[in-house]
This record gives sequence, structure tokens and C-alpha cells, in this order.
Amino acid sequence: MSIFLSHHVQAIKLVVMRMHHNKLATFMISLVIGAALCLPSLFYIGVNNLSKLTNHMQNETEISLFVKLDANAKTLDSIAQILAKNEAIQEFHLVTKDQAWEKLKSQSDNNSETNGAINELTKNPLPDAFFIQAKSADPVALEALRVELQSISGVDQALLNAEWAKRLSTLLALSKKIIGLISLLLALALMVIIGNTVRMQILTQKDEIEVSNLMGATTSFIRVPFLYAGMLYGAFGGLLAILIIVSVLQIFNDSIAQISNRYSSDFSLSLFNGPLFLTIIAAAIFIGWLGSYLAVSRAITSFKLN
Amino acid sequence: MIKFDQVTKRYPGSDEVLKNVSLNIEAGEFVLVTGHSGAGKSTLLKLIAAIERPTSGTVLVANQNISKLKSSVIPYMRRRFGLVFQDHKLLYDRNCFQNVILPLHINGINGVDAARRVRAALDKVGLLHKEKAMPITLSGGEQQRLAIARAVVSRPSILIADEPTGNLDASYAADIMAIFNDFNQVGVTVITATHDVQGMAKLTNRILHLSNGELQSKSSTS
Repeated sequence: MSIFLSHHVQAIKLVVMRMHHNKLATFMISLVIGAALCLPSLFYIGVNNLSKLTNHMQNETEISLFVKLDANAKTLDSIAQILAKNEAIQEFHLVTKDQAWEKLKSQSDNNSETNGAINELTKNPLPDAFFIQAKSADPVALEALRVELQSISGVDQALLNAEWAKRLSTLLALSKKIIGLISLLLALALMVIIGNTVRMQILTQKDEIEVSNLMGATTSFIRVPFLYAGMLYGAFGGLLAILIIVSVLQIFNDSIAQISNRYSSDFSLSLFNGPLFLTIIAAAIFIGWLGSYLAVSRAITSFKLN
Repeated sequence: MIKFDQVTKRYPGSDEVLKNVSLNIEAGEFVLVTGHSGAGKSTLLKLIAAIERPTSGTVLVANQNISKLKSSVIPYMRRRFGLVFQDHKLLYDRNCFQNVILPLHINGINGVDAARRVRAALDKVGLLHKEKAMPITLSGGEQQRLAIARAVVSRPSILIADEPTGNLDASYAADIMAIFNDFNQVGVTVITATHDVQGMAKLTNRILHLSNGELQSKSSTS
């Protein structure tokens, strides 16, 4: 056990020493890994934040039914009855023009711009409205229901609220698939990059491998330093990737804060994303290990002297 | 200790380098393998050191059949040997001390014990004062002595040297043969390939002469 441990300690020492001697080369390799890891991660963060943003805007199956302004209580009653009979409707509730008016006023109390405008209105401009939850979330069924509701007499307008949000979320789902694909391709590229780097290093240490082999070094003895090298390249690359991501987010956050201010929202990108960062580093280390493993195994096979 | 039984070796695309060689080397012997270049000396040594496998016949080292060893066992077999090559095969990216310590690391020996043994080996070949020097700064004879220190540091029972004096002038060559003789005195089996029989013969117990891959004679000089 102690032999095993000391062998690994020796290997790490050796690798760190070599990296120390070739700082620039080590940095360049790590940078390539870092930049490659950045792309899918930033894409992921973007899509993730967009879907967070749309999630609270989107009430999946809600249809708003605005009643004509001159409608009286009787019309409302008859519409309510028709809605109650409709099989496709899960539930609905009525917000009368007075309720809506009160709500709007209280909401605008702490907004000076709209407050002034609303106070100038002498008459309530809002219609009565039914808010309807459909049973189905299927866009086609929803659209059919909307058209049906539109045709009820006394109804001014039927609106599918979350139409654009829904389209966006479909796009986001697509983007997630694309991210998956890009990450996979970049992982392959990384493996090749790291594998190639390790292969170059193997060429410069060809003599050492050959001599060690002749002196009775086992395959794992020869392999271990290279595996650590690959893992360290991966780890450095992962750290660089995180550094780049945080910088990019910081730059974007200023503009995003300005935009969300305009929409009186406090939305911003969170700089620290623990699970993502851990995933990046773990993935980078794993890819580094795998790339080196493949490269060093290939090299050892070609050096095989038996 | 080492037994060849009708061993033939053929490399892909070449004639037989060794033909029907049978021999027996006892523990503690000092054997010279002689012959012209191309006679098969290096191949014979490589077969002993488990670097090559015979095309036919059997090679037994310490009662283990080299040709039937699994590749995973071969590294452990090789640790029985100390190898010295004509071209030294030193590692030029590290100093003398680090060159000599490599076999110990391979054997899992580290720390103070390893350092002590490295210094003992360097002392034996007269290079203790050069432990921090890089191999490239050493003379040809010193480099070969460094290679010998590396070969013996893990205390192998068999020392195999392929033309260790090939590139050296006579006095250096005599130094190196004297060192080999010292090891042989303490019980190490020494097998050396050389084309320079004259300079060596007086030190050896036995000469194996190869000619075109065939073993010619076994003569004893002492």
C-alpha cells in the first residue's frame, strides 16, 4: 500500500515539476481546454436563465376572455353558464371590471408614472374578464378552444396568454438539445486535444518510457504520470473555463440589470453556480484522464518490446 | 540459472539470427559472448533479458520459461537483470543521481533507503562526486560507468552488458571490466557481449563464441 502511495506521490511530483518547467505550454493547453469548455457552459447558462425568466410569465393553459364593455350582469351570467358546460375547460373565474380597476390602482400606487395617468381617468376603461384554465396543454386544442370561446356572443376577445412564451419554451427545449450535442462534440474535441498533448509529451519522453520498460517497469508505472498530467491539464482548464464564464457573466450582467430595470424586474444572472462549476471541473478532469489514457495506451503498445 | 535449449530466433523478414543454440549458464559465472557484429550476440542477450521471445526452442531463466511468460509478468522478470547497453540509454533530462534512482523507483524503493543505495552504487563506479552533474557533461567512460551504477543499484542477480566497452579506449575498457569482475566476485552472474576478446579474456571464466548465429565452442580459460 505504501509503495502504491509513494509511487503516486512520485508521479504527481514529477508531473508538477514538468509543468512548472513548461509553464507557458501548460497554460496554453489549459486555455484551449478552458475555452472549449466555456462555449457549451455559457450557452447552457443563457438558456437556463431564459427559461427561468419565461417560467413565471407563462401560465401554460390560461385563456383570457374579455367581455364587451357594454355587457351587463345578465350577459356575464349567460357566458358563465356556457363556460361551465364546456368540457374542455378545467376551471374559470370572473374578474369584474371593478375588481380589475381596484387591482390596477393598487398596483400603480408605488409607480409614479402610471399613477398619474390612472388618476386622470375618470371612468373605468377595463372590461369584465373570465380567466379560463383549459384541461389540455396541447397548443392545437388550446387554439381550438380559443376560437370557440371567441364566438360566444357578448365576448369581445379571447386571448391565449402564453402563446409567445410557449413558443419560446419550445425553442429553449430545442436549444437544450443543441447544447447537449455541442457539449458532446466539444468533449470529443477536448479528448483529442488532451490526448494529442499527452502523445507529444510521450514522444519527448520516449527514452524514459523505453528505459523504464527495459528495467521492468509495469505498464501502470509508466502510465500513471501521464494520467496525472492529463487530469491536471483538465483541472486547470476547468478552472480557467470558470474564470472566463464569470468574467463574461459580469460583463453581461451590467446590461441585463439596465434592461430588467426598464421592466421593473430585479432579474440578473447569478455569477456563482456551484453545481455547474463542479460539473465543468469534473468533466474536464475526466476528459483529461480519458484522453491521456488512450494516448499513453497507444504509445505503450507501440513501444512494446516483447 | 540460464538455460537455452535449441533456441532459434528469426526476425520478421530476416534470416535466422540464432540457429539451434543450446547453452547453460550457472549462477555466479562470468561469461563473455564474442563474435563479429551480426553474429547474434545482442539477440542472445535480449533473449536472456526477456526483451525478445525465441522463434522456437525454450529459454529458461531461474526455471521460468521466458517464451511462455505472460506480458504482465515480464516486468517482474526483468527486475532480476541489470542491463548495460552500448549506447548507455541514459536519460539526459535529469542528473546522475536521478538516473540511477529510476530502477529503485520502479522497484518501489523510495526515500532515504533509495538515496543511500544510489550513493553506494555511484561510489562503486567512482562517480560519487558527480551525483548532481548532468550525464551530457560526463566523458564516454563516465557515462558507461553511470549506466553500470544504474544497472546494479537494485542489486540484480544477473548483470547483462551489450558491448559495454565498444566505444571506449583500452584503459576505460579495463576499468569497466574490473568493475564487472568485482560484481562477479560478490556472486553476481555477469554476461557480457564483446568483439574484443583479447582485452577481456584474462578476466573471464568462459567464452561463448557466436558465428553467424551458431554457437561455435565453449572454452574455459581458467
